Amino acid sequence: MERTSTARWHHSLLCSLVCVMILGVGTALGGVASTPRKGGTLRVATLGEPPSLDAHWTTATITQVITYHYLEGLYTQGKDYTPIPMLAEGHTVSDDGLVYTFKLRQGVLFHNGKEMTTEDAVPSIIRWGKMSTYGKGLFKQVESVKAIDKYTFQMQLQEKSAIVLPSLGSANNFSAIYPKEVLDEAGEGQVKTFIGTGPFKIEERKPDRHIKMVRFEPYKSRPEPPNGWGGGKTAWVDTLMFIPTPDVSVRVASVESGEADFTFDATPDAYDRLKDNPDIKVQIAKPYYWLVSILNKKKGLFTNEKLRQAFLAALDMEPIMRATVGRPEFYRHDSSLSFREEQWWTDVGREMYDQKDQEKARRLLKEAGYQGEPLRYMTTQEYDWMYKFALVTKQQLEAVGFKVDLQVVDWATLVQRRNNPDLYDAFTTGIGQFADPTLHVVVSCDWPGWNCDPDFQKLLDTMAIETQFEKRYKLWQEVHKLFWERVPVIRYGDIFALNVMRKNVNGPFDMIRPYFWNVWLEK
Amino acid sequence: MFVVVTVIFLLIHLIPGDPVAVMLGPDATPKQIAEVRANYGLDLPLHWRLLKWYGRVLQGDLGESYFLGRTVLQAMFERLEPTMVLTVLALLVAVIIGIPAGVIAAAHPNSLWDRLLMAVALLGVCIPSFWLALNLIYVFAVQLKWLPAMGYAPLSQGLGNNLRYMLLPAVALGFNQSALIARIARSCMLEVMRQDYIRTARAKGLAERVVIYIHALRNAMIPTMTVIGITFAILIGGAVVTEVVFNIPGLGRLIISAILRRDYPVVQGCVLFLTMTYVLINLGVDLIYVFIDPRIRYD
Repeated sequence: MERTSTARWHHSLLCSLVCVMILGVGTALGGVASTPRKGGTLRVATLGEPPSLDAHWTTATITQVITYHYLEGLYTQGKDYTPIPMLAEGHTVSDDGLVYTFKLRQGVLFHNGKEMTTEDAVPSIIRWGKMSTYGKGLFKQVESVKAIDKYTFQMQLQEKSAIVLPSLGSANNFSAIYPKEVLDEAGEGQVKTFIGTGPFKIEERKPDRHIKMVRFEPYKSRPEPPNGWGGGKTAWVDTLMFIPTPDVSVRVASVESGEADFTFDATPDAYDRLKDNPDIKVQIAKPYYWLVSILNKKKGLFTNEKLRQAFLAALDMEPIMRATVGRPEFYRHDSSLSFREEQWWTDVGREMYDQKDQEKARRLLKEAGYQGEPLRYMTTQEYDWMYKFALVTKQQLEAVGFKVDLQVVDWATLVQRRNNPDLYDAFTTGIGQFADPTLHVVVSCDWPGWNCDPDFQKLLDTMAIETQFEKRYKLWQEVHKLFWERVPVIRYGDIFALNVMRKNVNGPFDMIRPYFWNVWLEK
Repeated sequence: MFVVVTVIFLLIHLIPGDPVAVMLGPDATPKQIAEVRANYGLDLPLHWRLLKWYGRVLQGDLGESYFLGRTVLQAMFERLEPTMVLTVLALLVAVIIGIPAGVIAAAHPNSLWDRLLMAVALLGVCIPSFWLALNLIYVFAVQLKWLPAMGYAPLSQGLGNNLRYMLLPAVALGFNQSALIARIARSCMLEVMRQDYIRTARAKGLAERVVIYIHALRNAMIPTMTVIGITFAILIGGAVVTEVVFNIPGLGRLIISAILRRDYPVVQGCVLFLTMTYVLINLGVDLIYVFIDPRIRYD
């Protein structure tokens, strides 16, 4: 039958409508986020073999990244880096602030099938208090830890403390709960059997080859939504492989070639090439570290405050940061001792950062009575960014009259020498995120650099026992005022890391160090 | 060996660096580090630690790694297979490329072939193996995706799979050595080709191929075999860079990471093992020489 013109018009309209619908649905489908699915093996190329798989033993971040998958702490950190319960259900505090009562979650199983109770939690926390840097800091104020019943224990303090939850929630060197028998086996040494409560369990460890973890099927997730390193956790992938790959270019190449699915700590110079690769996704991970030159305030040149101020005044931060990471996407200028992403961030003292005032630096050198003594400045090429910012710093210091003896050593030598105040005047390093401002190494009297200034310690001691956030924040701002006046260390800008992953890898990757629960592989 | 044992110990203990500071991480305090050092006996005077080391070596106990959670012997044994496979394959690559190249160059002295092959040999000697390795990875793994960029598949997973992972590392390592073998083979061949018996063989009307491959080559191989034997010994310890770049969990990588983090027992044990291996291989080469060249006898 011949179509009339009206029928033809109707036909065209119908076809157009159908096309629009298809387009709309197609666009909608293309825009919909991938749905998590179970299955697959996620291969993560890491920067090396961890020095230990015992979370209480070491502050090495590679240990943190790996052990966070098979172990869990009493508390952890949420997306805003504040402490949230993990294996604890919650806690109460006595009116005088001296007794913390913790309730454990019930029905949480270890990887050996045993239920976690206070029989495991109490010795774990006590061990953490003896071994961990953050545990030791807290336990200076702890009188005792004892079980009340199967799921309840109490921590008795000697004085009120603001750092109980932040310390217990520290992501690094964290308050991991081990089975009691694992601790008994370990004695005074590291744990030998790797059993925890995490969403993954360790199936195989072959040093320098891989650490293989598999999904722990009976894992009991917290009911709330995911929140940073805590909240609900789902092991979507069947198997998680950590493959130590020390050479950074090979780490990246392994993701490009498909031998690995994810790597972190890649160098920014690969960014342009990788972002154009259709098989790859890149992510600029922030925060990462802030750069610092630690000044020796126990002996030598930098016992003199004017010399420290001269060092600071001489620096022009933009060329330093640009030389260190190359691309502006990978750094930002900041003056706070806490990252912008944290609740503790402040811009008090901002005007003292990036002074680039050579005249002021020369004047301060003169006032300090500087006679041209060599400034022994230690750095290492094992962390390329440390070496780079040291080089530019040296150049800028020499421009104002410092005489700089740049000593390039390997990392093992640097971490040894920095403990001896006779051997250096300054060294380079990077500062990560700390669970509480009072735990910051740069304001510590016990850590190399030795910031034993009584005015600092007074503010920090007050902060340690003040439990109200607003008051603590004001004190932290006072610390910043003092920091930029007394210059215990030289704070540079923040640098960011580059995460590189195959296109089919999906996950939040929203914290300072990556984690692989709540991560899935698209087919 | 007593001197070797002493020198190894002193070398690693006298260089600056602290394994405990590395182990405990960047935020550990000096006090924490000192406590753990005492647990490991690292606060004892050097001479006491040396005496303890002698005692252990005499009992065949090389100690326990500070980082790996296993004994040094276990750690070395686990890594022996990748290193031996890499070494053997690299040697095969070196011999397969080097000997024919040397023979062809010698058979056509001062020709274009000779100059070309020796130029390539020179390149082989000059090119750093890590540079070659990274370029091989970029071309064959990243761009062409023909071969893996890194890693190792044990022989228990099949020879084919193992070769897939080892081909690029073997070429990267072997190319360097093939250059040396080519130059030695060429020199030896040229010397042999000047001998009277070669002139006689030609005068008798033998085909040039017979003269070169039957009469000349066999005699030229005697010194070349010595070089190959020594190359084998060098490759076992010298595969460090290749193993690091290709992420092969072999002895070389074990040593380098042990040095970087001052894992004293592992460094001591591995260097001792490599020294003994080098000595034994040299002895083996000297003994093989007796069978290859009947003129040679040891008193």
